[in-house]
Order: sequence, then structure tokens, then C-alpha cells
Amino acid sequence: MFSLALKNILFYKSRSITTFILTFISTLLFIVYVAMMDGSHKSILQNSLKVYTGAIEIYKKGYRDVGGNDYLLHGVKEIEKKLSHVQGIKSYTSRYETYGLLSHKEYSSAAMVTGIDPSKEATMSQLKNSLIEGSYLNASSGNCVYMGADLKKKLHVKLGEEVSFIGSASDNSFAADLFKVCGVFKTGAYEFDSSASFVSRDYFDTLMYSSNMASYITIKLDDLTQVDEIQREIQKLLNNEELEVVTWKTLMKSMVEAMEVDSIFGYISMSLFFVVIFFVIMIFGFINVSSRVREFGTLRCIGLSRSNIRSLLIWEIFILSTLAVLLATPIGAYIAYYYSVYPIVIEGMSETYKEYGIVSDELPFSFDLFTITWNVAVIYILNFLSVIYPIKFINSFKPIEATRHV
Amino acid sequence: MYKLIIKLAFNNAFLRLSRTLLVIIMIAVSMSMMLSLQGLYDGMTISMIDKTKRSDSGEISLYNKNYRVSKALKDNIPNATSIAEKLEKRSDVNAVVLRLKAEGLSSTARKSAFSTVIGIELNAEEKFGEFDLFLKSGELRLDKRGALLGSELAKTLKVKIGSKVIFSTQDSSGEINAMSLRVRGIVQTGNISLDNSAVYVERKKLQNFLGVSANEATQIAIRTDSLVLQDELTQTYKNLDVKSFLELYPMMKQMQEVMIVFTSITFFIVMMVVFIGIMGVMYVSILDRIREFGIMRSIGMSYALIRSQIFLEALFVGTLGYIFGAVLGLLALLYLQTYGLDLGAYADGMESFGYSSVLYATIKLSYFSSTFIAIIGASLLSVLLPLRKIKTMNSIEVTKVDI
Repeated sequence: MFSLALKNILFYKSRSITTFILTFISTLLFIVYVAMMDGSHKSILQNSLKVYTGAIEIYKKGYRDVGGNDYLLHGVKEIEKKLSHVQGIKSYTSRYETYGLLSHKEYSSAAMVTGIDPSKEATMSQLKNSLIEGSYLNASSGNCVYMGADLKKKLHVKLGEEVSFIGSASDNSFAADLFKVCGVFKTGAYEFDSSASFVSRDYFDTLMYSSNMASYITIKLDDLTQVDEIQREIQKLLNNEELEVVTWKTLMKSMVEAMEVDSIFGYISMSLFFVVIFFVIMIFGFINVSSRVREFGTLRCIGLSRSNIRSLLIWEIFILSTLAVLLATPIGAYIAYYYSVYPIVIEGMSETYKEYGIVSDELPFSFDLFTITWNVAVIYILNFLSVIYPIKFINSFKPIEATRHV
Repeated sequence: MYKLIIKLAFNNAFLRLSRTLLVIIMIAVSMSMMLSLQGLYDGMTISMIDKTKRSDSGEISLYNKNYRVSKALKDNIPNATSIAEKLEKRSDVNAVVLRLKAEGLSSTARKSAFSTVIGIELNAEEKFGEFDLFLKSGELRLDKRGALLGSELAKTLKVKIGSKVIFSTQDSSGEINAMSLRVRGIVQTGNISLDNSAVYVERKKLQNFLGVSANEATQIAIRTDSLVLQDELTQTYKNLDVKSFLELYPMMKQMQEVMIVFTSITFFIVMMVVFIGIMGVMYVSILDRIREFGIMRSIGMSYALIRSQIFLEALFVGTLGYIFGAVLGLLALLYLQTYGLDLGAYADGMESFGYSSVLYATIKLSYFSSTFIAIIGASLLSVLLPLRKIKTMNSIEVTKVDI
């Protein structure tokens, strides 16, 4: 059957070429499109994770839903000690977050002021690397504040000048102080840069009465794909009903959902191409079969069964699809790999879409062998589906009837 | 003679019914899918633009020259009320609203979030952009310390209707001041920045709180159909920043352009594949009947008449495919326009990006006209190659061909 199928493919050139080209185009298009779509989604999520949000965060139950000082984490050092035994954790740190008003001369702005451990934070997020002016914090920075570039602009404050802070401490008492602007950062995340500022924990704890307390503990992992396993392990290790261990998938639920919706639309658009290509491959297959009715009739008369005819047509589409897929897959995979290493740069993209969390002008592709495999499998399945009708058509003829077909 | 050609073309177009039906189904299915997608994508963009205009910019907005950079209260329009009165008298202005904005911090007993307090007049906003349609829950009331909160801000603050919110900001004298508000309603405008941060209060109350006069506002937004009004206002109010909607929201323009490019590429690729499909069928159909054409040429029928017959065959198939596709597409579009595509399972994600969780399609005549031209064009072009075959054939020889 294989050699007969091969002979037919070479003999009916126009059908073979059309099927080959369409399969090649659809495979290539699918691999590249999905790589681009997945890559841009991963990039947005990873950039958000890099900027501030941790892969896993530990909260006291109620902090995320209700919030406030009643739901602060206590015994932070003990929790951190337990975390040091968990495999797969790259680093962790606690943060004490509070909201207040920062003022400089006649300018004021609401801001998130966070007490951080500067050395640990440097291994956790992009904060230290995002320094554009002055210096990053250290344990002895005292009342130095490390401020977002857009917040600095709002307050019309210069490096070395003081800003006043008004907020509330962990015991709900009134907290006020003067901070000196020692460093300025720009992560590219507009909302973050226009509202966040950081102070060294050692100093901030004395102001907020927050020693050994935190809003939450944030954790960075060696391998992000292990997030669910490690989350379960931490939850088990802490063995505390009052604490909740949440992953980035929960913390960034809205963004994850938005990416999923975007993917759905991407696949709907791709399905349009596939439907048309499926029909064209089927039409060409049908035309080919309908012009060979007499030939199939003769084959049946000399002893071939209906299942032999079915096998012959399946072999034909298998050979054509395999050839096209074998050529398209390495090319598509190479394009995906190349642009995953050297992303496409669209100048001004991050500025235009800053409200959507886009912090980079780079559009990297995703290179994932599993994704490429299922992309190819979809094309294969579609091609096999396209011969069902031609097979049914040709097998509906009786052998003698088929030999007389005009 | 032409009557005969039409009859021949019609009969031959449906000579191999299964083949022709496959082509018609291919055209109809791909066309209906394409129309649905185009309508849905257009609907999303148009809805976003419409909501942004209604909730914020209108077609034109006026600001103090420095306001859009500084966002400072001192950079307001001092004679806003008199400018608005003049604008309202113009016949080419449909509606005008004054807004006063100040950035600050909204807090509950447990949560805080950055926000922008916006002083509005509900009646004027209603006329300007049907503000009541933005109401998600609660009621549209701003009396007795009432406030309306953007939907995402309400989520961040975890507030409900009736909750108390304290808004703190710097007033016009530079003093930090706070006002206590009661949440009367939650609004979802579809404009991300407003949904994330807006606290709507009565304009007069905000003017008192911030210590600015009744004539002052930070924005004058205008609804108009005029295309020349912006130039005129730029000339008249040289000390103000007169901006069109697209200047204020360049992202919307880019989104529209990206959508046009995307749908054009999709359209082109789909039509190319449809073209290949029709061409395959027409080519085989002509090869099947090559002896027939040889005989026709031998008995004196001109090439022009045979060409007309083949063009007509392609036209019949293409038109029928188009009609079925248009009907299917229209039905799909009507469904999507009436009931929409419910993506409620992803509501949080959709709303955080300014989309409603139910997406509605829009229907434009241009979808059908451009598709008609493309399908008929693809059908007619698809027979050029088979026609060449007929033109170059030797009439006597082909009559002897055994097919």
C-alpha cells in the first residue's frame, strides 16, 4: 500500500503539491503564532514577577481580603527559619507595607511605603537593578527612602531633599517622620514607579513598631514550574491554619485570566485559517478521488477490499502530511527559538501600553517542545479528518459500478 | 446566444454537485467565521472607544497648559464655568461637562489605595455620556457625602454599598485634608484608569473641600460631531491645551490600527486559500470537459463565448457561496450583537483590562460589501489559469483525448 500511495502522490502532482504547501504553511503559521502569543504572555507575567510580586507569598488569613493591622504576620523570624529547610527556594524576605501620604513643600502624593531588608530584597526583585539615581538602600541607611521615578516627579523632590510621611503604625497609632531621598528607581511598571517607595526595615520597624512582624513573606524559586509542589510543601511545613500560602497564579489572577482570554481569541483566529485550509485539502482530496473512481473500481475488481482502499488514501495523506510537517517543524521551531533568544523589539510599545502592565519593548517568543508537538499533532489530525469524506465517497461505489463511472 | 451560455454555465456549475457543494460550504463557513470575528473585534474596539469618550474625554477636552504633566490642582482652568457656558450655546456642541480632579489616598479602616477624586455633576454627566449605564451596583446618588467608586478600586478597598471611605489629599492651600464619604454606587466605565482609581463626588462639594472657587475646573470635556471645532477652539483658547480624543488616548488609535492590519491580513490569507480551493475545482471541472470545449470550438463557438461561460460558472458558485456565507455570518453577528459572547469565567481578567465580560459584536455593511468583492474577485481570478488551457488548446486534438 505504501508504494502504491507513493506512486499516486508522484502521479497526481497538483493535488500533492497543494496539500503539501497548505500543510506546510498551516504548520509553520501555527507554531510561530502560538510561540509568539505564549512568549508575549509569559514575558508580561515574568516581568511582573521580576518587578515585585513573588512566586509564592505567605499571609495571615484575612490580610488579602480584609487587610489592616489585625492581620499582620507575627513571628516572622520563626517562619523564615522553617523556610530555610525547603528545597527549591532561591531566596525569601519579609515586607512591611503601609500606605500613607508623602509631601514635599506644596506637593503631596499618596504612596505605598514599604520596609524591606535591602540585601535580601536585592536577590528577590528588580528593585536594586532599577536604580537610576543616587544609591540603593543598605541596613544602615536610616531614614533614607528609595523612591519610584514617577513618584519623585509628582513630589517635585530632588535627591538629598526630605519628604514628610504621614501614616499609621502597626498598633494603629499615628506615624509621621521625615525621609531623605537617597535613591530613585525606574522599573518601567508605571503604576509601581508612581506610587512605591522603600525604607530599610531596621529603621522602619522602629517607626512602625513592626519588629518581627510583616505584611507578608515573599519567596523566589529556583524553578517557577515547581511552584505548586513547593506551595504544598510550605503549607505542610508551616502547619498553621491561620496562615495562607498563595502562588503567583492567585496573586495575579486578573492578569492570568486576561492572558487566557487573549489566548482564546488567538486560537479562535487561528481556527479560521484551519477551517479554510481543512476544506481546501478536503476539496483537493475529493477532486483527486473522484477523478480516480474507475481506477479504484479496477483495484476493487482485482481483489482489494474497502479497507485496502481506505489504507491507501490514509497512506497518501500520511506521506504528504509527514513530508510537509517534517519540513515546517524545524523551520518553525528555529524561528521560535531564535526570537526567544533575540526578541523582536517594538519601539514605544511599553510607553503606549503601560497601563496594561507592559514594561518592556521586547516581544520574546516562547520555545517549548511540548507546545510545538501538540501544534503539529493538531495539523496531523486535521489532515486525517480531511480524507474521511473522500474515503466514504469512494467506498460508496460498488466495484463494477465504479469501473463504468464517467 | 447569451441565454444559451447562461443556461450552459448554470448547468455545468452544478454538474458535479458534491464538488460544487464542498466549494460553497467552504466559502460559506470561512466567510461566516470571518464576519463573526471581524464584528466581534470591531465591537470590542468600538465599545472601548465609546466608553472612554463617554466617561472621560468626549471628542475634545480642554485643560490648563500644564495640567496634563503636573496633575496639580493649581494648574486648573480658572474661568471654566464661563467657557463652558459659551460652548454650550454653540450649535455644533452636543454636550459639555466640567470636572475637577485631585489625586490622593482612599482608605477604609483596613485598606488603602491610590485614587483620584473627581468632582462631577450627575445630570450633566448623564447628558454627556449616559452615566447611568456605567452603574454596576447601588444607586446614582452623590448627596449626603455620597460617592461612586470605580469597580476595580472598590475591589481593592473591599468596600460595598454603604461602606465608609476616607479620601485624603492636598488642598489648594497645600494643607493635607481628608473627607469622609459613603459609597452609594460602584461604576464600571470600561476606562481602566477610571475604574482603577475614580472616586466620584459632587463637584461643588469638592470645590469647597479643595478650596477652589466655583468657576474653577481641571477639565472641560465636549461632545461634538464637528470636525473643525478643535481647530477653532485651539485658536480661541490659546492659553489652554485643546486635545482631541485620539491625542489623549493614542493607545486607542494604535489599537484600532493594529486591529485593521490584523483583520486585513486575516482577510487576505483566508481569501488566498479560498482562491486556491475554487481554482482547484474550476481547473478540474474544465479538464473534465476539455473535449466538450474542443467540440464547441470546432463547431464555431468563439473563445470569448466560452470564456464568458466559464466566468459565469465561477460567478454562480462564488455568488451562491457568498449568499450562504452572508446569511450564516449575519445570523452569527445578530446573535453576537444581541446576546454577546459571555466570558464571565474570565470576568476579573477582562474587567481589569477595561473590557466587559460579555463582548458584543457590531455589524457594518462594509463587512458584507468587502467580502462580496473579495469572493467574486477570487472566483473570477480562479478561472484565469484554466482559461489559458482552453485558449492554447488544439481543438481537433482535444476532441480525441481520452479522459
